[in-house]
Amino acid sequence: MAYTPQYYPGSTSVGINRRKHMSGNLEKLRDIPEADIVLTMGHRKPGQDYPSTHPPLKEMGEPDCPVRQVVEPTPGAAAGDRVRYSQFADSYYFSPSIPYWRSYWGSINCRGCDPGTLSGRQIIEARERDIESYTKKQVDSEMNDVALSSMRGCTVHGHSLRLEENGMMFDMLARTEMGKDGNVYQVKDQVGIPLDKKLNLGKPMSEAEAKKRTTIFRVDGVPIGGKTGARKYDEAVEALHHMWELRSKWGYRPE
Amino acid sequence: MAKMHTKKLFIKALNKKFGKDFDLAGTRTEYKRLGPEQSARKREYMETANRLAGKRGISFYNPYVHCGGIPLGQRQLVPYKLSGTEYVVEGDDLHFVNNPAMQQMWDDIRRTVIVGLDMAHEVLEKRLGKEVTPETINNYLEILNHAMPGAAVVQEHMCETNPGLVDDCNVRIFTGDDALADEIDDQYVIDINRLFPADQAEQLKASIGKTTWQAIHIPTIVSRTCDGGTASRWSAMQLCMTFIDAYNMCAGEAAVADLAYAAKHAALLQMADMLPARRARGPNSPGGLSFGFMADMVQTSRTKPQDPVAVSLNVVAAGSMLYDQIWLGSYMSGGVGFTQYATAAYTNDVLDDFSYYGVDYAVDKYGGFAKAPQTIEVAKEIATEATLYGMEQYETFPTLLEDHFGGSQRASVLAACSGISAAIATGNSQIGLAGWYLSMLLHKEGWGRLGFFGYDLQDQCGPTNVFSYQSDEGSPLELRGANYPNYAMNVGHQGEYAGISSAAHAGRMDAFATNPLIKVCFANPALVFDFADIRLCFGKGGAREFRAAGDRALVMPAV
Repeated sequence: MAYTPQYYPGSTSVGINRRKHMSGNLEKLRDIPEADIVLTMGHRKPGQDYPSTHPPLKEMGEPDCPVRQVVEPTPGAAAGDRVRYSQFADSYYFSPSIPYWRSYWGSINCRGCDPGTLSGRQIIEARERDIESYTKKQVDSEMNDVALSSMRGCTVHGHSLRLEENGMMFDMLARTEMGKDGNVYQVKDQVGIPLDKKLNLGKPMSEAEAKKRTTIFRVDGVPIGGKTGARKYDEAVEALHHMWELRSKWGYRPE
Repeated sequence: MAKMHTKKLFIKALNKKFGKDFDLAGTRTEYKRLGPEQSARKREYMETANRLAGKRGISFYNPYVHCGGIPLGQRQLVPYKLSGTEYVVEGDDLHFVNNPAMQQMWDDIRRTVIVGLDMAHEVLEKRLGKEVTPETINNYLEILNHAMPGAAVVQEHMCETNPGLVDDCNVRIFTGDDALADEIDDQYVIDINRLFPADQAEQLKASIGKTTWQAIHIPTIVSRTCDGGTASRWSAMQLCMTFIDAYNMCAGEAAVADLAYAAKHAALLQMADMLPARRARGPNSPGGLSFGFMADMVQTSRTKPQDPVAVSLNVVAAGSMLYDQIWLGSYMSGGVGFTQYATAAYTNDVLDDFSYYGVDYAVDKYGGFAKAPQTIEVAKEIATEATLYGMEQYETFPTLLEDHFGGSQRASVLAACSGISAAIATGNSQIGLAGWYLSMLLHKEGWGRLGFFGYDLQDQCGPTNVFSYQSDEGSPLELRGANYPNYAMNVGHQGEYAGISSAAHAGRMDAFATNPLIKVCFANPALVFDFADIRLCFGKGGAREFRAAGDRALVMPAV
């Protein structure tokens, strides 16, 4: 029997978008050149060989291991790439993705990756050529908006701050800037080192589009629990209550 | 349906922080990127560092080394209003290094032990044939208040401490026996009847019974030079010498060993347990301080018993400072981040607003404090309402979100208001804890983010320890502490757990949460820090109005 994962409850746009992110069935909105992704990540120069931490697996004479026979290595693991990262900050103000959903997306859709979830940033680590591929998927897709999301390796402060007057998420290191032509340009890499040239990331989403694509519940968008004085729980809350209650009761084990 | 209580207590603080003319609902602003010069405190630090540069002979404070010359202050650096007070101070003033009141709060805990008198009196009477009367006890206490600061008795030609350095040291006794208390010189008594409301005094005296205890506070300067483990050692020596002096005993006979054990160790209560070897701390270190003891040290329960939220929030403030800023932030880790986390719980009236909302909701629905059934259903209802209300405020007031810019801050505040509300509503700390964990999960579900990595373990796995009775993890919240298995690493939790412990008992109008001896001991009016109003004291410390003990200026050249 073919199994279709349900991923997430709820019939609101937020519930639907959360399911889309988890399924990996995402709309591609832009096509940022691979070289620009590599420059922004800042781990190697475009065209440079991938530094390795071990020889290609085929040359290593791996032990006779059933797990290794079942699990095909990712391209980066097969080649012996080092593990590198990309990390994103997403604004509270209707950014398309949010940290846990980037992690769920990574865990479900990206082989050989290690997501880490915080409040103001979300990191995915993987072998270098793998993480470059995963990063491009994120940057190109509806998971990202060039004003409300940005790649930030450090000094990520901004996700919860008011937006700049031009609608950009605050960035202490000003790694991106709004051009006079309405396009957003990447001017520093993810740890804030200036780039030799500005990279055109394209135009930001309109507010309406960001609200349509977002995965965050908000009282001024899709509320998770109605409003104060007029509560109406989203299906996600009902499911959560059920899970919390079982988890609490499970801890009481009188056997 | 329950009435809505949306007082928005935090708006006054937001106006003080961001200026009166900003748009409370505005989601966009101009970031002027004024750097550290926009803050009077940062300017002061730069000037101080420049002045000291020549003397030091090595580079020093320079905010422009940060991130390739881009210093902090790219956004507006805002001050902090101490919740429930009018004090507005810079964030830097709330780092414990810069705040002598915060230091003194911990000093006053660390330098305290409680030692029973009854067993020593029994040994004196039965083993040594001495008579113990109120008169001999008064004489003993006079000698003890000479000796405990570090002065000699019995011995000749001893090196003593300068009274000007140790004047914060004192020993008072307390008892549940009114007749005995009446016979003791007032200066040596912590008067339960005078310091506590009548109903609380009766509870405390009934719990303490006819036993008698010494509240011993060794000199601050001693505990700062040594450590918390010193409190019992320092006091033990002075206790024993005082007994020898007061009761004209032989200093060498074997029977004195019996007295020494009885007087020093047999009825000794440390403020905090010693920690296992992997944490390598002795007694009276914050890692061994239980949430229930922390709740009892704070005295708001006797000065504002009618306001259980205020009681709980003062415990939260004390606990956040001690557990987060000092214990996790310095003993266990280091650096500057912990202050930023912890201040969210006791500044800008945010947790106050959320907690009063949750408690008002519960009171409207269930008819009063501690009236709601102690069930998981009640935890679910109250924690959900309090959390959703709090999230809505962050969403409605962008500068509130900007103020609590880290998820750990928001998670702590939302979960704390949920836990405090559920605990006050039911009078049960475990129901409060259940509310805490539900809040964490709701927060994560709504916004797709929570705190830093550690919240994955502590809070998402946490519901399973609420009703557990397995050893190690099954303690009631009051008996858990900073070294409880899952609690040992996460900022933004332990002070709030202490607050929830306190909330349950404040809701029930209990005189104490865990231990009546702790509650009475910290009512001692001679303590340097005022444990009745934690946040006010922190504000005084930040405003440079607080005079701490342990100062060495008396024996140093003037600056």
